[in-house]
Amino acid sequence: MNLVDAGLYGLLGSATVAIVMAIVLTGRVRNVIAGLAVLATGVAAALTGLATLLGYSGTGLAIPVALPLVGDLDALVLAPDRLGGFFMLLAGLVIAASALFGIGYAHGPAASRTGWTGFAAFALGVVLVPAAADAITFLLAWELMALGSTVLLLAEHATRQAVRAATIWYAVMTHLSFLLLLAGFGVLINAAGGTSWARMVGIAEPTASLAFALLVAGFATKAGLVPVHVWLPRAHPEAPSHASAAMSAAMVKMGIYGILLVTLRLLPNGPSWWAVVLVALGAISALYGILQASVQSDLKRLLAYSTTENVGLITTAIGVGLLLHQSGQHAAADVALIAALLLALSHAAFKTVLFLGAGAVLHATGERDLDQLGGLASRMPITALTFGVGALGAAALPVTSGFVAEWVLLQALIHADAKTDRLLAVVMPLTMGVVALTIGLGLLTFVKAAGIGFLARPRSQAASEASEVGFSMRLALLGSAGLTIGLGLIPGPLSQLLAGAVGASGIATTGLTGLELGGLGVVVLNPLALTALTLVLLAGVLVVNGIASRRHPRREVELPWGCGGERTSPRMEYNATSYSEPLARVFGGSLHTRRSVEVEHPDDAPLLVSGIEFNQETVDLVEHRVYLPAARLAERFGDFARKLQNGSIHRYVGFSFAALLLVLVLVTR
Amino acid sequence: MSQEVFQQLVATTTGVLLLTAILQVWGRSLVRSIGLLAVQGAALAGLAFTVGFHAGEPQASLVALIVLVMKSVVLPAALLRSARLTGETRERPAALNPAVELIGAAGLTLIAYIVGTPLVGDNPDPARQALPVGISLVLLGFWLLLIRRSAITQLIGFLVLDNGIATVSFLASSGLPLTVELGASLDVLLVVLILGVFVVRMQRQQGHSDITELKELHD
Repeated sequence: MNLVDAGLYGLLGSATVAIVMAIVLTGRVRNVIAGLAVLATGVAAALTGLATLLGYSGTGLAIPVALPLVGDLDALVLAPDRLGGFFMLLAGLVIAASALFGIGYAHGPAASRTGWTGFAAFALGVVLVPAAADAITFLLAWELMALGSTVLLLAEHATRQAVRAATIWYAVMTHLSFLLLLAGFGVLINAAGGTSWARMVGIAEPTASLAFALLVAGFATKAGLVPVHVWLPRAHPEAPSHASAAMSAAMVKMGIYGILLVTLRLLPNGPSWWAVVLVALGAISALYGILQASVQSDLKRLLAYSTTENVGLITTAIGVGLLLHQSGQHAAADVALIAALLLALSHAAFKTVLFLGAGAVLHATGERDLDQLGGLASRMPITALTFGVGALGAAALPVTSGFVAEWVLLQALIHADAKTDRLLAVVMPLTMGVVALTIGLGLLTFVKAAGIGFLARPRSQAASEASEVGFSMRLALLGSAGLTIGLGLIPGPLSQLLAGAVGASGIATTGLTGLELGGLGVVVLNPLALTALTLVLLAGVLVVNGIASRRHPRREVELPWGCGGERTSPRMEYNATSYSEPLARVFGGSLHTRRSVEVEHPDDAPLLVSGIEFNQETVDLVEHRVYLPAARLAERFGDFARKLQNGSIHRYVGFSFAALLLVLVLVTR
Repeated sequence: MSQEVFQQLVATTTGVLLLTAILQVWGRSLVRSIGLLAVQGAALAGLAFTVGFHAGEPQASLVALIVLVMKSVVLPAALLRSARLTGETRERPAALNPAVELIGAAGLTLIAYIVGTPLVGDNPDPARQALPVGISLVLLGFWLLLIRRSAITQLIGFLVLDNGIATVSFLASSGLPLTVELGASLDVLLVVLILGVFVVRMQRQQGHSDITELKELHD
């Protein structure tokens, strides 16, 4: 027994304990004990992943299940490789943070027996997916993850109607994903004659391309790439916040893991159109996601669309890496793949903070509409601070992991030699433009999310009466925010570890913590040194500012629009809708915003105005143009089928009679 | 029994079976339909006896007796009782006119002979040669189910269908073992008795036994 096996036993054991405790215990005790057991599962998974990344490999934990379908195929084995280890680390950390948060946060149906059992099963599924060493184990863990998350999503179905609609969307998309994966792995298993990853090598075209298309479609559905992202903005807002955090930060990444598994491990050296497909999918998702996010005023919906954006960026980075490998620029390709992993880890860190922060706000105010929030910074300082860190990460600003990851991606794009290859000459500049635009819009989006949500004056009664959340929730927030900053300040050692996961070289640590991309010439990022320098400079500014303010004490400034009456009311503030108004206008063509202004007049004075109501809603274009027509088509088919079934006995007898005649005629033909 | 007599007997009984089935399609009177069913049952019993005796089956006469009692006496009597209780004497007006119904019946008989060709092959055995009659009885029974509306004629159609199946099995296997025939007959009897009660209930509740009115699907 070595470290990896011990870790796997540990996570299996603690997940079992979590499920048993969730069933046996009741009330507050259940939250604490089951939550701690899930936390332990997450920690065990993270440690297992770390051990794998450090170069330990397990002996392969065979699952003693006699499945009839396995037959003479390979045994079910849990043996993570380095890539899987990385995703176990990522998922484990997210699960640990969400479980810790859930201890304080879960209430009502989310804290029920079903709620915690679902969460524990979901957590186990998520961390087992990257540990699987064969297709059957992978699919089993995948389904455990899907079922657990569906149960979690359904938690509040009794009290809120929207939950049911969201669950139906989620269940349908999840099943679609599973079917595609089943078909894709079926093709691979058939061609390879075995179910283990080790046997699926050297599969020839066109089988490889068919498997690639099916598997990537399935994984993209789970990852939430456009056009199969529609479940994200519905499911994430309706799930309990600790579940949304785990779903958005960990589960969605399993789609990314799948894409990497297919393109790097199972079917390496595929044709270049694979890479182009990935880049295109990713670029469209990144742009579409961030555009939609920028105009949302529902905080959790905004975060969900931002997930689509980030997953899009990661997929773009993977595609760029594959494309560069094919054109022989291995140094730049390695950097792009490292960027994909860094983006995934960074997104996991800051999206956990953001969703947990949104959960804390929801817990304290009962609101997730940004237009009803505001002024929370003074009432919920820890939440505001950590949410701010998360927003910095999401906006890819320095001292956070987001900055490092996107910096590495941009380095890969800049240093790729696009002159020699026509395909690269088209793809690289376009991708760079998309990434730049995405980063810009991301900045606006998260300035809005943090600024409107936490600064200024409260826009509602609930927001003005908010108070800071409990200890376990603050701890989870601080932990994940610390991770976001830690990755941002000390990127070197981790990147070096990650290089092993995707077989990259030329990634080194410089100084104590800095990151050096040796393959690209002298490209160095040393955030710790930069931060120290900034702090020194900032100290100078502070000193000067201090002296100046002593010389000229602060004066009260009267705002000119008070008119002598009440000076300002929260209604005069910018809110989320007005802040994103310019964006909604500039990108009106692709956002399809619906606006309506209704002016009310008093009965006797039609020229006076008694009230004005403004409504704005953004429509998901993909949903309206693709999914609703498809649903209508299905409904029409259903109507037709209903006509066949009118309840008349004669008709049913007629059906069987016609079938009998048909069979007779066919048999004698 | 000489081969010639056997051939004549098989031809006569199967001829009566087919004729009674066609006549079922033609008429509208319930009592006449039930009478035809009794005749058909008797012909079936004759066929069972002929085939079984010819094949040297020791229980042939017993099987034939059971078929005779069941199909020619008990079942028609049960149907007649249901018809009396409901007070119906004539079939309700159908969707198709009688000419179309008869043309359909003729077409189905034709189909039965066409699809029966591979079963018959070039087997000179008269029992084999008559096999398509059984198939056409099955199809005609189905046809009755389709074109009739009253619940009692539905039952008659079902019994014609069952007679068809029995005919095929007698002809194809040269007589059925007693136990099989006994089991099948009891099943049919049970179905007819239950449905008979059901028809009477339906009549009491709705004032008619038209099954086209039973359209509501309940879950």
